[in-house]
Amino acid sequence: MRDPRYDALAELVLDHSLRLQPGDVLRIEGDAAAAAPLVVPLHREAIKRGAHAYTALDLSGLKEILVAQGSDEQLDFVSPIELRELDAIDASVTIWSETNTRSFTRLDTDRRQRQLTAQRQFAIRRRDRIARGEHRWCGTLSPTECQAQDADMSLADYEDFVFRACHVLDDDPVDHWRQVGERLQARAEELGSVRELRIVGEDTDLTVVVEGRTWRAAYGRQNVPDGEVYTSPIETGVNGTIRFGFPAVFVGREIDDARLVLENGRVVAAEAAGGEEYLRSLLELDEGASGVGEIAFGLNYEIDRFTRNILFDEKIGGTMHMALGMGFEALGGQNRSALHLDLICDLRREGEVYADGELVWRSGQFLQDPQPSELAARVR
Amino acid sequence: MFASRHERMADVLVGFCAGVREGDLVTLESSTLAAPLLRELYRKVLEAGAQPLPRIALEPLTENLLRYGNDEQLAWVNPARADDIESVDVRIALAAPANTKRLSNVDPVRQARYDRSAEPLRNRYLERAAAGELRWVFSAYPTEAAAQDASMSLAEYEDFVFGAAFLDDPDPVARWQEFGERIDRLAAFLGTKREFRIVADGTDLRLVTEGRTWVPSKGQENFPDGEVFTGPLETSVEGEIRFTYPGVFNAREVDDVRLRFEAGEVVEATATRGQEFLREMIAMDDGARRVGEFAFGLNEAVPMFTRSTLFDEKIGGTMHLALGTAYPETGGLNRSALHWDLVCDLRSGSEVYADGELVYRDGQFLNGSS
Repeated sequence: MRDPRYDALAELVLDHSLRLQPGDVLRIEGDAAAAAPLVVPLHREAIKRGAHAYTALDLSGLKEILVAQGSDEQLDFVSPIELRELDAIDASVTIWSETNTRSFTRLDTDRRQRQLTAQRQFAIRRRDRIARGEHRWCGTLSPTECQAQDADMSLADYEDFVFRACHVLDDDPVDHWRQVGERLQARAEELGSVRELRIVGEDTDLTVVVEGRTWRAAYGRQNVPDGEVYTSPIETGVNGTIRFGFPAVFVGREIDDARLVLENGRVVAAEAAGGEEYLRSLLELDEGASGVGEIAFGLNYEIDRFTRNILFDEKIGGTMHMALGMGFEALGGQNRSALHLDLICDLRREGEVYADGELVWRSGQFLQDPQPSELAARVR
Repeated sequence: MFASRHERMADVLVGFCAGVREGDLVTLESSTLAAPLLRELYRKVLEAGAQPLPRIALEPLTENLLRYGNDEQLAWVNPARADDIESVDVRIALAAPANTKRLSNVDPVRQARYDRSAEPLRNRYLERAAAGELRWVFSAYPTEAAAQDASMSLAEYEDFVFGAAFLDDPDPVARWQEFGERIDRLAAFLGTKREFRIVADGTDLRLVTEGRTWVPSKGQENFPDGEVFTGPLETSVEGEIRFTYPGVFNAREVDDVRLRFEAGEVVEATATRGQEFLREMIAMDDGARRVGEFAFGLNEAVPMFTRSTLFDEKIGGTMHLALGTAYPETGGLNRSALHWDLVCDLRSGSEVYADGELVYRDGQFLNGSS
């Protein structure tokens, strides 16, 4: 059954995120069953736009077999065909739809980590091509039962939630995201002149030095839905305490109500109401895992609840998040790690943010609209 | 321990059919409908110390391309799939259709353009296969669509598919080896013959196979299997033949096909239904009106027509001709974008003569033939 909302999401991804051109080679990636409702319209609309679209589809259950019984050599295997393939494509879209978000939960964490580490070669290669302007990429989601279940919703309600968050029910979704781009770009520029942020909330009082770092606006190019501004803070410039009210979900495991104490940018104390041991094991993954790679504000106010999916959770309007581990080199971040663990702090009720001593955010909102700038206008 | 049919089938496909070895790169190609078997194949390939590379297709995508693609898009060859053909050691492909008539209303000209784009890849993979660099096996996973085409319930069709593959046998591989030895002997016997004459209802056809190779097909490249085939001399086919079963090609059916050959070429083609399509296909290119394959189906566990060539051409007691391209390993020289297998039931009132001697009657080779 054709659902116009999936068609609209497909068109938004092709026209706004990927700016697909005739003759482009487009690779559509996702789980063959879970992502199918979006894969089919994405492929159809890409063909209509004159692109050479094709799919690279997973089948649920296969990687689980690999992690459960593959040899070390098999876990480390990186397909030379897929590595070469990356160099021949102009654009790709990853659909993060799953059939069961907990299918790895009972498998050996080290073996899963080992398999994921090997596959990071693809992500790194793709990231480098994106940075050189040779490739456009977008990650999105086609709603599934298991992800609705994680969000404590029916599939019908979850579809409504997802499509609202993506603004594909708007008259002109592309125009909406361009406007978001203008606004967030201006906000990012404004934050770029800030030296130090102080975040105050429930059990939270954290100072973050961001001086000299670039803030980036995320407005539907690399994620759909989108809506955040983010940077990598000065590696030694994070101090204080922070409590993350929302659970963090990482490789199918949850960490509840994490509280961290940071000194000079390093986590010196960590506790959690649930998954504390798992949190500590992640912090010990490597040298950079207990450092801060990202600081960000979630600004998509259609995303008004926690749904156990980082694509949405990190954009909840009125929140900030911090990632332990890998920083963004392009933004000046120098922290390096195999980890990038996003932790979300709800600033909607009691939250205050001070920029160089001045109150700029209260109860989930920046107090003033950013001044539109020439750069921001160029988003159009 | 109890092994499911899927496990048994995966075991035979990975071991006996494809001979997967340590370090092999193995593509697993099918649709999501074959997921239960694909998972077992993936497991068996890992157990063999090889690397499984899943290539999962979504059926509606071909329709997208054929409906909306421009000429350039229809002709595009995906470099990643060309790389597969060039790089992998083994291909395991399973038919698992959700709707075999999905492309029935697509413009045949566009379909033909799309089919031609796949030709260089097919030729390259047959070339690597012939050179022993690439092993492949084509099989089927039972689906509702295939069951419907066979006029069966899914449960009945599953019994048919697994039965045809001897998977309900205590030792399927032993059965296939034993069957394979019989097919080998038959191929050797047929290889001593020069000329064949097939006589049946509406059929009296002569063709020459002298100097050509009869290939025993015994579960390596097709599974299930059971045929022996060759490529006749291109100008040798003379006479007429009436095909008992409908010809099925690109989701289209042609009923009661009758062909008359002179000097190897079809000079008359009629059908009670789909005659125009039949004539279009024969006119596709020069090779399409000549015979590329002459074969006998030998699998007694495939007793009936099911509208799936993998099975139909193996029906025990039948022969088939393919119009179009020949298999290089037979020595056949005919080349075409077409390879259309048409099956003729020989199980009653039929005779086959080899160099004038009766060697086959009513669906069976006579004593001394194998």
